[in-house]
Amino acid sequence: MNQELEQSFVKQLKDNQNIIHKICRLYTSGEDAHKDLFQEITIQLWKAFPKFRGDSKFTTWAYRVALNTAITLYRKSTRSVATTEFDNTKHFIKQEDYNYEEEEQLKLMYKAVYQLNDIEKALIFMYLEDKDYQEISETLGISEVNARVKMNRIKGKLKKILNP
Amino acid sequence: MEELDLLKKDWKKNENSFTQVSENEIYKMIHRNSSSVVKWIMIIGILEFLFLTGLGFYFADDSYTKSLEKFHIDTLMTILTFVNYAVCIGFIFHFYKNFKNISTTDSSRMLMKNILKARKTVKYYVAYNLSMACIIFIIILISSCIYDETTINTISKINSQENAILTWAGFIGGILFVLALLLGLFWLFYKLIYGFLLRKLYRNYQELKKIDL
Repeated sequence: MNQELEQSFVKQLKDNQNIIHKICRLYTSGEDAHKDLFQEITIQLWKAFPKFRGDSKFTTWAYRVALNTAITLYRKSTRSVATTEFDNTKHFIKQEDYNYEEEEQLKLMYKAVYQLNDIEKALIFMYLEDKDYQEISETLGISEVNARVKMNRIKGKLKKILNP
Repeated sequence: MEELDLLKKDWKKNENSFTQVSENEIYKMIHRNSSSVVKWIMIIGILEFLFLTGLGFYFADDSYTKSLEKFHIDTLMTILTFVNYAVCIGFIFHFYKNFKNISTTDSSRMLMKNILKARKTVKYYVAYNLSMACIIFIIILISSCIYDETTINTISKINSQENAILTWAGFIGGILFVLALLLGLFWLFYKLIYGFLLRKLYRNYQELKKIDL
């Protein structure tokens, strides 16, 4: 039974691992920190897995546990990112559609997002993942209206960072 | 917002750019130990329980029991000891229940709230023990003033001096100073341990609370 559970977990996690990678990208800098957070999230997902009943999608469930691990359970500070590390956003832009202006803007955007605090990052993350405000509010435990208000504030904040 | 849409486009485009972790590696990961905040708080909490309970046993030796009899407070102390055990069991039960309540599938805010609640149980237990120690200290002090000959002799000796009030003031001041120093050290130690562990969690919890104000 236990082995079956383990197998099913490992298979589902492997297929959906990009969720965790994306959170790690947002909350850590550098490969080691990425791996470290990835491991902690995996452990927490596994610990919570027996209670996962499949009445929600694996991904919906995984988003929540993974985000909670990054902003609550993970011990190391995920906030400060050294400026030199921003260059690793470069390889995100593929060569074929290279556009200098766009690339510069994206670089600035990533830099600005990294400067946000943990909670703001969580909101931006769910926005980038096309989550609706109901899910955002349920995941973070705030009201839907306030999630919208906060999101607008973050957008304003980003705008300010980009166009000082 | 144009820029954010640009970011979203790029974010989606790079969705599959991560080095993939193999099943084998995931197997290995789930058998490793977590280093989460909850785990550390639980370990420290258990150590606190053990330390405080152990301290009680350490002091309860023969000479302690004899002096209690001499001071006529043995019955009172036996009652207090039983009260202590009951309270301790109550706290452990509470501690266990609160930790059981911590779930990563709750909302972030609920999760943070439950962690802080579990942590508070330990804090109250420590506070209870400190105040109990103070009460017992005062009871022993008072009863030794009544029943202990050496103490009585010392008191009358001090009282017969010319500047008795000054000596008493110095004596009481000294005791208070040592107590304050011990409590201060204790507090600092606490601030360091839990400050280190919970700084991030607390900051994020405040941030969420601020959003929902």
